[in-house]
Amino acid sequence: MNDNDKFLTHEVGSLAKPVWLVKTAQGRELDASDIEHARSWGEKVGVEGHEELVELLERGSADPDEVARWSSRYCVRLQESAGIDVIWDGEQLRSEMYAWAIAHSNGFEPRGTVRSFDNKYYSKSAAVGPVSVREPYHNEEFSFLQSVAKARLKIPITGAYTLAVWSYDEHHTPKEGRLGAGYGRRREIEARRELTLDIARNLIRPNLEALIELGADWIQIDEPGASTEADELDLFVESFNVSVEGLDCFFSTHLCFSDYDLFFPPIEGMSGCRQYCVGFANYDSRELGTSAADRPGYEVITKFRDLPYEPILGLGVLDIHTDFIEPPELVRDRILYAVEVFGDPGRIHVCPDCGLRTRSWEVAYEKLRSLVEGARLAQEALTGAPV
Amino acid sequence: MAELQAFAPGLYPRSEALVQATRDLDRGRTTVEAVDEQVERDLAELVSVQKQAGLDLLSDGMLRWQDHFRPLLEAADGLATGALTRFLDTNTFYRAPKAEGRPRLGEPLGDRYVAPLPGPRLVTFPSPFALSHGTGLTPKEVADSVLRPALEGVEAELVVLAEPFLAREESPDLDTLAEALGGLGDDLALWLEFGDAGPLLGRGLADLPVSAIGIDFYATNLDDVPGSFDKLLLAGVLDARSSLPEQPRELAEFAARLAEKAERVALVPNGDLQYVSEPIAREKLARLGKAKTATTEAAA
Repeated sequence: MNDNDKFLTHEVGSLAKPVWLVKTAQGRELDASDIEHARSWGEKVGVEGHEELVELLERGSADPDEVARWSSRYCVRLQESAGIDVIWDGEQLRSEMYAWAIAHSNGFEPRGTVRSFDNKYYSKSAAVGPVSVREPYHNEEFSFLQSVAKARLKIPITGAYTLAVWSYDEHHTPKEGRLGAGYGRRREIEARRELTLDIARNLIRPNLEALIELGADWIQIDEPGASTEADELDLFVESFNVSVEGLDCFFSTHLCFSDYDLFFPPIEGMSGCRQYCVGFANYDSRELGTSAADRPGYEVITKFRDLPYEPILGLGVLDIHTDFIEPPELVRDRILYAVEVFGDPGRIHVCPDCGLRTRSWEVAYEKLRSLVEGARLAQEALTGAPV
Repeated sequence: MAELQAFAPGLYPRSEALVQATRDLDRGRTTVEAVDEQVERDLAELVSVQKQAGLDLLSDGMLRWQDHFRPLLEAADGLATGALTRFLDTNTFYRAPKAEGRPRLGEPLGDRYVAPLPGPRLVTFPSPFALSHGTGLTPKEVADSVLRPALEGVEAELVVLAEPFLAREESPDLDTLAEALGGLGDDLALWLEFGDAGPLLGRGLADLPVSAIGIDFYATNLDDVPGSFDKLLLAGVLDARSSLPEQPRELAEFAARLAEKAERVALVPNGDLQYVSEPIAREKLARLGKAKTATTEAAA
């Protein structure tokens, strides 16, 4: 809970790009239903001046960058309208969390498309030389959102370890001599360390410094790849510390779809992280209940509780891979269980498991509304008074 | 000189066209029929690439498989898809198998998941250990009730059982695995993907009741392979997690060293090629073929 005895709710990252943005960016013609989507959502979530967008789309010659800014406004209002306290624009102004960072950096080359899961894919690049930032790549986005948002902003930035582990490394990996040689994990880790710390120092830190200069007071360092290599957790921690050391800001990190037990004890050394935003709902039961047996997906939260520097836990309560709308009562019970474990509601924030970009806006909106209502019900249950 | 073959089991990457088609399908912008047609074009291209490379056994690339297990989990009673789970140390995820009762596969998967091919072929399925991993079932249970029915009627020169987990087990139980493999027929390969097989070789991996063993030589020291390896050795020499193209000369030199260990060798990737993009996988297959040719010519 925050100072107002209210559980602080926040988004995690991405939202789906609307079809009118996708088609405009691809130079495809929009049909009537696309324009109706822009009109109805503009009305539904209260986007000021959305009629201007509708006109732009109807004329059929809209500038994709301008449409992306409209999409950004829509996503801000969507979250504000759902009642979320701390928001971002669902990365409407970015291509994607990995591709955007790589495209604005030196030292990488594209290597094609690789499957993430099922029919989901990502573009993968290779580090081919020394890494550096071409220009701080979130400044324009942050300044725009400062001018649009009514709610507090939290800016997500893809972290050094994830950028490294999601890339091939043609720069530090020997081109020959590994076959049958017992090349060994030690040397692989050494190569990864060089690349990761290169990225932390020369990509992430310059971006963080620039955002803080612009007024950012909460930066979420996204590390969905953090547990990819169980024996590189210390490197993930080191890269986080190198990225944020000495900077004055509320830093959090986002972890998802991992064996979270692997993070302990390595993240005991990550005291610059004030909040861990972690996905759990994907592993949990849909039955109501506040006992440990009722909440199997949340078993590991005791380890976050026991971290010596007492970070806040951003409790993932929405499974982002299903259209199932979690009832508020289920969200409530997940929160109440976490509060029981932590013994301190002040160390619990409430969020989805991850970005909601694989869900339609309809589903994402209903899930977020349910999250907000669930947080309210939990607050009511704890305070014993209607909220 | 040992008998030398080359081929590529496992999941092959989808082309950019198929990537787009499947994305469009998820977004309601195309039809299942259109995606099926693109799968057929991808398959025809893959067959062509393998033939041009001179590979000895054709693979269908498992182009319709969403992951190592999915068609089996969807077709079998008593099995289901579980949580989205990271595949080893990649950024690719799969639905972990989950047991919901006694497993039973009523009939083989059919052409949709084991596509007909114009020539001698291999077919890839998960190993019984991999399929039972984390389900509470034993490898023998899934071997008898799921894999054996799946293999009935499959005509292939080699059945490759992909095994990504065993090499990472702290206390692998090879006896249990041997019991499971024993009932699955002849011409079986156990393909250990992405892992150091050294400790398993020390525990008797080579004695398992299969005719071939696959070893990742980017993780395994050649010195760990026993000198009298009497099975077909699937030598993982293409690094399926690296975008760097292998040098045929280096592969050929390594193949010559392998010949000192095993009478029969097949050059293969060290895991599914789907962890690189399709153009890179295509180039790697071409280089695999060149390496085989260079080795054979050098021996002649």
